[in-house]
Amino acid sequence: MRAERSEGPPAGRGGVTRRKVALVIGAGSVKCAAAIGLARVLSRERVDVDLIVGCSAGSMFAALMAMGRTSDEVAAIAARLWTRELTATRDFRAMLSVVLPRLLGFGERFGMRSDRRVRSALAEAFGDARIEALKTRLMITATDFRTGEQAVFDRGRVVDAIRASIAIPFIFTPAEVDGRLCIDGFLSDPLPVGPAVRDGADVIIAMGFESNYQERIDSPGRFAFQLSSIVTNNLLRSRYAFHNVAHHGEVIAIVPEFRERIGLFDTARIPYIIEEGERATEAMLPHLLRMLEAPVGQAGGA
Amino acid sequence: MELSVSQCGDVCVVGVRGSVDGSTAAQLQDTVAGQLTGSAARMVVDCTGLEYTSSAGLRALLAGVKECRRHGGDLRLAAVSGGVRRVLDLSGFTGILRIYPDVDSAVSSYAG
Repeated sequence: MRAERSEGPPAGRGGVTRRKVALVIGAGSVKCAAAIGLARVLSRERVDVDLIVGCSAGSMFAALMAMGRTSDEVAAIAARLWTRELTATRDFRAMLSVVLPRLLGFGERFGMRSDRRVRSALAEAFGDARIEALKTRLMITATDFRTGEQAVFDRGRVVDAIRASIAIPFIFTPAEVDGRLCIDGFLSDPLPVGPAVRDGADVIIAMGFESNYQERIDSPGRFAFQLSSIVTNNLLRSRYAFHNVAHHGEVIAIVPEFRERIGLFDTARIPYIIEEGERATEAMLPHLLRMLEAPVGQAGGA
Repeated sequence: MELSVSQCGDVCVVGVRGSVDGSTAAQLQDTVAGQLTGSAARMVVDCTGLEYTSSAGLRALLAGVKECRRHGGDLRLAAVSGGVRRVLDLSGFTGILRIYPDVDSAVSSYAG
């Protein structure tokens, strides 16, 4: 996948203006590693991407790609970054505040795990990189905790935007960025095609993931995850339907199908996840290439 | 994309082969609109040979459904394959369209 930050309409091969392409990587925890497989196919086919949009765990992969990291580098960094260790440090005071809110105080900055390890892992991977300075244009989405609106970050520190985008409810505290208290991006749109539509992309490659339903409900945590999956999957469909109808151009959905169940931090499965991402992209490739060959200005049809 | 039009009683069957995307969606939409005369608001789109539909194809189908229903009829899908079905599922279209396993059952659904 090649991509360079530039002004004006993108230049194609032979100096001919080509269609503006956006890649959207939706929420999906470690399943977002499938985007590595997608990137490998795009790179092999020399498909240029002008904008990358990432949400929740997808924001990490989006940022690494926007930095110009190779697929192998992204896979290695993801395996180190997205581990169960991130949520290993419990915040006992916060947990007690659930049952004793008046005694211990309870507020909007609630989260049952310390984010110290997350911040440290993000700092190691991204340092002080700024979104506006990356090789490819990047947008990271989160959700404004107070208003429910989607927050889109296209400038500022990469680590701050990602921390906001992966603020999993109940697990991590909402994060404050530019004066906005933000929570996980999946709560406003698990597959944020909207920013790419607004940016004028002609062809939007949207890799999304459906949330697993629980095999058994035997704890409050699993009960909460089940509710979250129900809401997220319905939100994914309704937002995707809206964007399909509203967008002037093309949206190509790539939704990998996993035969094996993938856990939230199942980093050992990353090679398999990448394979499925590659397989799903290959299936869509003929259609994608045909769309990219269509002349600029040819609307997305009806 | 290749289109074919045939008549089964008072039901118009539009066969779609290949891929519906930005370069072909208008043709599909025009074909459906062109059949909307008299009782032909009863329509079946035969998806047996449909390999893929992009968002532009979905918009064309939706426009066809709205037009048919506005004319007191309907547009129903038949023989939708796995990949196309997945796109329809993901975009919520399966909740608003009637889909049948084959053309015969789609055509006879109008008799009920």
